Amino acid sequence: MTAVSGKPWPHMTSRDEFRFLADLVFKRSSSEHTIVNLRDHHTGTTRFANNQVVQNVDTRRGVLAVTVAFGGRQGTASTTDFTAGAIQDTVTRAERIARVSPLDPEYLPPPAPYEFHARATAKPETVAAGPSRRLEYANEAIGQCRMENLLAAGVVSSSVTAVGIAANNGLFGYEHRGEARFSLTVRAGDATGWSAAAHRSIDHLKVQERTLVAIKKAKCSCEVQDLPVGYYPVILEPAAVAGLWAWLLWSLDAKAYTKGTSPFAGRLGELILDDRLSLRNSPDHPDLLGEGFTAEGLPSGASVWIEHGVLRQLAYDRFTAKTDGVDPIPTLEAPVLSIEGLPVASIQDLVKNTERAILVTNFWYIRPVNDRNLLLTGMTRDGTFLVEKGEIVSAVKNFRFHDSPLTLFQQIGAWTHPLEAVNAETGKMLVPAMTLPRFHFSSVTRF
Amino acid sequence: MSSPTWDEFAELALKRITAAGAEYGDIRVQDSTTEQIEGEDRRISAIRDIKDVGFGVRVLYRGAWGFAASSILSLEEVPRVADLAVEIAKGSASVALEKVRLAPEPVHRDRIVTPYRIDPFHVPIEKKTDLLLTTMEALHRQAGIARSSVSLWARRDRKLFVSTEGSHLEFNLLAGQGECTATALHEDRFASRSFNTPHLRKGYELIEEADLLREASRVAAQAVEKVKAPAVDAGQYDLVLDPEHLSLTIHESCGHPSELDRALGYEANYAGTSFLTTEKLGTFRYGSSHVNLIADNTEPDTLAATGYDDDGVSCQKWDVIRDGIFVGYCTNREVAPKIGEARSHGSNRADGWGSVPIVRIANIGLEPGSATVDQLLADVKRGIYIEGHGSYSIDQQRYNFQFGGDAFWLIENGKRTRMVRDVIYHGITPEFWNSCDGVAERSARRRYGFITCGKGQPGQSGWMTHAASPARFRQVQVIRGEGQS
Repeated sequence: MTAVSGKPWPHMTSRDEFRFLADLVFKRSSSEHTIVNLRDHHTGTTRFANNQVVQNVDTRRGVLAVTVAFGGRQGTASTTDFTAGAIQDTVTRAERIARVSPLDPEYLPPPAPYEFHARATAKPETVAAGPSRRLEYANEAIGQCRMENLLAAGVVSSSVTAVGIAANNGLFGYEHRGEARFSLTVRAGDATGWSAAAHRSIDHLKVQERTLVAIKKAKCSCEVQDLPVGYYPVILEPAAVAGLWAWLLWSLDAKAYTKGTSPFAGRLGELILDDRLSLRNSPDHPDLLGEGFTAEGLPSGASVWIEHGVLRQLAYDRFTAKTDGVDPIPTLEAPVLSIEGLPVASIQDLVKNTERAILVTNFWYIRPVNDRNLLLTGMTRDGTFLVEKGEIVSAVKNFRFHDSPLTLFQQIGAWTHPLEAVNAETGKMLVPAMTLPRFHFSSVTRF
Repeated sequence: MSSPTWDEFAELALKRITAAGAEYGDIRVQDSTTEQIEGEDRRISAIRDIKDVGFGVRVLYRGAWGFAASSILSLEEVPRVADLAVEIAKGSASVALEKVRLAPEPVHRDRIVTPYRIDPFHVPIEKKTDLLLTTMEALHRQAGIARSSVSLWARRDRKLFVSTEGSHLEFNLLAGQGECTATALHEDRFASRSFNTPHLRKGYELIEEADLLREASRVAAQAVEKVKAPAVDAGQYDLVLDPEHLSLTIHESCGHPSELDRALGYEANYAGTSFLTTEKLGTFRYGSSHVNLIADNTEPDTLAATGYDDDGVSCQKWDVIRDGIFVGYCTNREVAPKIGEARSHGSNRADGWGSVPIVRIANIGLEPGSATVDQLLADVKRGIYIEGHGSYSIDQQRYNFQFGGDAFWLIENGKRTRMVRDVIYHGITPEFWNSCDGVAERSARRRYGFITCGKGQPGQSGWMTHAASPARFRQVQVIRGEGQS
């Protein structure tokens, strides 16, 4: 296969080849239901630290997974070898499991065939990008930092994945997904500044712009003051908002809801947050990483999850959906959080309009403390500042927080339009930067 | 015509690397088989048999690295990937400031096989699913249990490592684990309690010896007791931490900061750096004199005891903290010379053929002391005994941490008394380890392992084991993990 740019690319499994492989599996399988999943992933990452490349890798992994079922007894086997003999072996292994597997009371046949929405998930410029393009971006970031006598650490990565699902009832989906990422931590001693991007198009990583942001944050972080712990108003940048919302999103599970082990138990249809907040899935948004379908063969589509603060939607697996008489719907993969009303133009405007607050660039190591009320903990990271009278007056030592998004987002102060947000521990979202009146910083660290 | 052997593929790749002028290169060919059986709420929810075969080629060219890997093991793909690794290394070299210099290591030719009594891949699946279904029934037999989950996991790695220096290492490694969890509902609350066998390099005997059914009855009863227990009162408590709990505390607050690549800034953009900076080596008081943390990648059954690491360096045993003083890092051949060390400690591991090896935490364990567990408890007026893992989080230099746990009992006047819930303790790493004033004897030592230690970009999962005897810590800050007061 040749990429659109004309540059050679290792041969990825094409739609026709996947159909051929799936048909081969169906012919070899004696089971009642057979599902074939393809994930042929080619990724490259250039990693740098201390202003030089420390790791430069390229990996191609193709995986074919076969799930078979005999009357509700199922088994799955996978292989990275796409030869006929290996595929026969994979079918045999899956069938061997299924024949001795206990009857699964929640087993359902494959989803009915569906005409999946075709999305522009693989941009030619990303597909064509290779080690030299990644190195060019890494050098751009390193060069800027060297000029400022600062240390750069970060990554530039690009990947393309052929993803497919096929079942012996006629279900068939196939798409190419491309993705590029850039993240940078700029160091000046213990002081750090950070910025990151992820996009379907490698041309949209905005490496220079984000490098300057990270440099500015690192330089502003050199002089830190030690503030006491307690409750503070905060300005959360988009990555910090996304870090908190990721845990809320992951908790919107219908099975846990029905079994009574969800923080939302009994609250579907109720006001759970500030009534100006809405959360949608927008897989067609050009700045998000929307997909056509899930690994279970469900279509990904636009949907409303929280509307004016009211919980409207949970993620339904197929069995729970059938039990509850609703349509199954996968977890959001392209979330957009929006706030009704008049936003300010920028994060700088949030700062200008603030009397006193802690400005948080990002959080790190967010983990649940209490699943009942979604109490979370985590650390601030890579740019935490005291804002007074509309200006950043100093950096502050990083805080640990203990707070719940279900409490925090009850009352939003001011906010921006939804902005691109990505960090090391969450997927990509569009979320506003915002001010919140009361945030619990429970301890402080040494830097 | 028969297909080429792994050795023939290796020879083909290394010839290309050498011909291209690289000063060093290696290839890892690996065939990994994983069996994962999962159950929840009285049903087997998934049985997966995963085969993952491929190879990775690593090249050092003019002091800079390149790595390429592929799941296509063929006469066409091996030279393409070897050439790509060289091309990538040349790109890295074009912007290199400081050339990589590898610490010397003798050439090794060896074969490593995990000893086992029962091959988990030969145990019938129906025997395993029967065990898990029966275990879930045992969990649900306890009144108040609303949900259950169980799993069995086994993995076999066949691997060949060959380097341009002449090392030739064959591996046939095995690991396994099993667990069950009960979730109890009470009023508007729910709480879980788990039993986990350690992840160890053993056969299915690990599962048979664990007696999941007996443990299921215990954890189900304790889940109900836990959900009905009063929430802890915040304040300062003496803590006695059990070995499973300590395995995570050691991992996060000693393991990660002792990785030299972190201390040197390699992980600054993701996992973070380390407060154990290089000038502290040999002088910094990390903990009290009771604290001896030893890295031992030679202890049988443990996850990092693989004979050799992915640099081809033989596994070793060394001090990380000796009598409370920080004295040793986890290193690989690249970073060891940067602090003047003549040899790598052999802690360079990749999570598979598709990943480049990076410095990983060794099997770091807390050396036993001389007290009995009863003696540790006897000297506590107001404390908390903590078992298992709960919520955990730590800052990017590994100073400020918070840990929960899986089960908590008050210690009152020297006796473990009743359960409490929602215990979270937090502190600063060296202050915490300096508050340690007792470690229990060797007979109380247990080993727990991790297979999901996240590090690196792209992210990799590291495997290691942490052993400990129960240990006591004085006057640690405890908060109530149930939200704003």
